[in-house]
Amino acid sequence: MDGMIRRYIHAVDAINRRVGRVVMYGIFVLMGILLWSTASKAFLLPSLWTLEMAQFAMVAYYVLGGPYSIQMGTNVRMDLLYGAWSPRRKAWTDLFTILLLMFYLGVLLYGAVASTAYSLGYFGSSPFSFFGALAVGSEDIGVMERSSTPWRAYLWPIKTVMIVGILLMLLQCLSEFLKDVLLLRGKVD
Amino acid sequence: QEPIRWRFQTYAGAALGEHVTKPIIDYINAASNGEMEIELFYADQIVPTGELFQALQRGTIDAVHSDDDSMASPTPLRQFGGYFPFATKHILDVPVLFNQYGLADIWREEYAKVGVQWLSAAGQDPCNFNTTKEIKSVADLDGLRLYTFPTAGRFLTKFGVVPVNIPYEDAEVAVQTGELDGMAWSGITEDYTVGWANVTDYFLTNNISGAWIGSFFVNQERWNELPENLKQLVMAGIEAGHTYRNQWYWGGEARLRARGDKLELRTVPAAEWAEVENAAKEFWDEVAGEGEINAKIVSIFRDYNEVVNQAGPPYTNG
Amino acid sequence: MPYELIATLMFATMMLMLLTGQRVFGAIGFVAVVAALLLWGDRGGFDIGFAAAMKLMKWYPLLTLPMFIFMGYVLSESRIADDLYRMFHVWMGGLRGGLAVGTIGLMVLISAMNGLSVAGMAIGATIALPELLKRGYDKRMVTGVIQAGSSLGILVPPSVVLVLYAMIARQPVGQLWLAGVVPGLMMATLFIAYIAIRCRLNPALGPVLAAEDRDIPLPEKLRLLRAGLLPLVIFAVMMVPFVNGWTSLVESSAIGALAAFSAAVLKGRMTREVFENSVRNTLGITCMFMWIILAALAFGAVFDGLGAVKAIEGLFTERLGLNPWVILILMQLSFILMGTFLDDTAMLVIVAPLYVPLVGALGFDLIWYGILYTITCQIAYMTPPFGYNLFLMRAMAPPEISIQDIYRSILPFVLVMVLALVVVMIFPQIALWLPEYIYGP
Ligand SMILES: NC(=[NH2+])NCCC[C@H](N)C(=O)O
Ligand code: NA
Ligand code: NA
Repeated sequence: MDGMIRRYIHAVDAINRRVGRVVMYGIFVLMGILLWSTASKAFLLPSLWTLEMAQFAMVAYYVLGGPYSIQMGTNVRMDLLYGAWSPRRKAWTDLFTILLLMFYLGVLLYGAVASTAYSLGYFGSSPFSFFGALAVGSEDIGVMERSSTPWRAYLWPIKTVMIVGILLMLLQCLSEFLKDVLLLRGKVD
Repeated sequence: QEPIRWRFQTYAGAALGEHVTKPIIDYINAASNGEMEIELFYADQIVPTGELFQALQRGTIDAVHSDDDSMASPTPLRQFGGYFPFATKHILDVPVLFNQYGLADIWREEYAKVGVQWLSAAGQDPCNFNTTKEIKSVADLDGLRLYTFPTAGRFLTKFGVVPVNIPYEDAEVAVQTGELDGMAWSGITEDYTVGWANVTDYFLTNNISGAWIGSFFVNQERWNELPENLKQLVMAGIEAGHTYRNQWYWGGEARLRARGDKLELRTVPAAEWAEVENAAKEFWDEVAGEGEINAKIVSIFRDYNEVVNQAGPPYTNG
Repeated sequence: MPYELIATLMFATMMLMLLTGQRVFGAIGFVAVVAALLLWGDRGGFDIGFAAAMKLMKWYPLLTLPMFIFMGYVLSESRIADDLYRMFHVWMGGLRGGLAVGTIGLMVLISAMNGLSVAGMAIGATIALPELLKRGYDKRMVTGVIQAGSSLGILVPPSVVLVLYAMIARQPVGQLWLAGVVPGLMMATLFIAYIAIRCRLNPALGPVLAAEDRDIPLPEKLRLLRAGLLPLVIFAVMMVPFVNGWTSLVESSAIGALAAFSAAVLKGRMTREVFENSVRNTLGITCMFMWIILAALAFGAVFDGLGAVKAIEGLFTERLGLNPWVILILMQLSFILMGTFLDDTAMLVIVAPLYVPLVGALGFDLIWYGILYTITCQIAYMTPPFGYNLFLMRAMAPPEISIQDIYRSILPFVLVMVLALVVVMIFPQIALWLPEYIYGP
């Protein structure tokens, strides 16, 4: 049991760390897009796509980077009481409250899946079965959603990135939860 | 008994919404004798404009006032709402096209297919330009970054315009922060009402469309649930709103051009602006080729355009 | 249930959740989606959280956030400010309390190069703090100097807080930034005056630098002044094109980030480690901000859906029938109060949409109000129980400084800030003069 928990924690932390360490260089992608926008405006014709592309990049940056930021502990907490508690007490509290956090992420994930289904032209109310049907080929992609800019970017790619990011965030929170479980069972080295 | 509650979101910010949407909501709320209570929300308040349609289908929002284009409607009608280049010359052309030339049926059908009840369309203001840089010829459009509708933007790129799409309420500030050189979004009434006249200097009297086409939509289930008397009431409120808007814009466009002191008027000679109109003809062909419904709508526009041209002024004065 | 009650309940639950010490974004997000589900059920209750993500994507000024954060980290990690510190050290050391005064000067220059206060905190705590303590400065004063000084980072342009405010109040960032300049300098002057007076009354608080430390030949001293050029150049490279409208806000922020990065490279300070830390920490802090805003936007949408704006307006103007100034003061007080407990970004995203329309309707200037809000934030950052700069200071201060020392050293500076707040309230021109001078009224 503990062995499985450890393996889960190890795997999820490793994946999220790797993802985070790749997307952290996204800051240069973002900078590049914005600088290109400046330059193209000054010298050639301003480009249509820079602002929207930068927005997509930013979303990917913070959503995919989220789990790594949890690992780094940069998501602040109000430590009025918490700060003074013992590690065990912290773990006990977190054990419950992180479930609430995960509930939030779950709702977010549901919204992301529904919105992605919409972006592929599904207008019904059971997005999960749509993806199921899509996978087995009994449902087709409909009118694909495009952004309301003249660039008319398809939106499913960025929405898919968000699904992945939120999912990774959930996995990371589960990992944090399990770390607390281990700690409370005295199984921490 | 408990009133029926709707959450209603309009495309307009609070200042404009005061005139284009709020009177309707007030009317319905007051006249329903407590049976119905619609809460009005302005641009992006509950959901961002890009998500409006989806929110409407799911019921996050019960009803919407918007154009098909900026709410990214998932129907082939998308490009024809808002400002389809040179489709109309005057505000009254819109109800004529919908009620006499058959657009209403097309709209109702297409939206039924995607689970939304389309109620009514109406005309609003023309699509002129208000900018920080002077436009004196078609060539001056080149390189301008303008806040505009997707389809209008796609059309204007033919003249070197760089269309920018941001949340409605951010447009004014975006002019001040240098993101925009102005707007190709409205007539002069809106420019003054929402404050854009304060941040731009020039108003171009030439337009690329004589009237905005906007519609009212309701979530299908909400509409089906509504008792017949309230359905009638909602429709009556919308009609009353159309009448109010017709006057508000018709009078406002004239008065503010003549008496407004915040924007200097500029006009590109009609002979030169014909270049833009001709480009629109090609654009129509292009769009008509994109599908059956598109072709049908464009042919309706052509048909009406012919009638108007034969009739002569005042119908032809844009 | 009446809407007011629901709104109060939401707020109270959020506070409670925050007290459990769970991550701020989780506490806010949880309350938001639960409220949405209870109120709206399957008529949209599930979508509101994600709709906020799409709204957030469209808030393009947020693109400046990672840029300014990156700038700040490059500055502090690369220790590019060391020379600056030496400059102040040598030039001001001869005065009573001179090093503390110099530290405020340092903080002003650093503020001009980054949009948050973290960089100033880090630089102050790593470079200035040890020196001050070594030279016998009073430990009850120095941590306050650094916290107060670094908080100027959000008042002197560029400022992330003002960008966030600009989005919510829909006011131009350029004007807001310029409006922060004079109040920022005024506040710095007040800090300096406070230090000077305290040290005059009690010279032991800030002893004069020993003669041999000051005995530096004049040409050398003049050479040190060159260090002051760097902030000016970075500030100008970023601000001049922006204020002139040649580049947009987001583009300017990228230019600023590039400028800071290039400066560090040219000075040979961009080591692997500096690079790694700046890039990694930028991700961490950006994520913190974005996830909080994401959750707060959902909370705000539900709040808005409840008609809270109208409720607040009704409460202040009709039910209580208050005079505009009283309303304004009450709002500021509530901000200060909330700011001691609540994350400032969350506070801004949730509460400002309720207040700002009312402030505008009462006829007050929203640019000016942005400055009042920012000063409130500065106070919030350093007052217990909850304050970002406070956290940082507690983490970075050397062991001989206790929590009590930190709390005590903050108090007088908070009073000075409240004084500044009052002064700017009474004389709006302090904030409005510069933007009006440059952009016209
Ligand atoms: N809302 C926040 N999460 N603020 C964190 C930033 C606080 C920090 N002291 C600053 O200005 O730089
Ligand atoms: Na700053
Ligand atoms: Na605080």
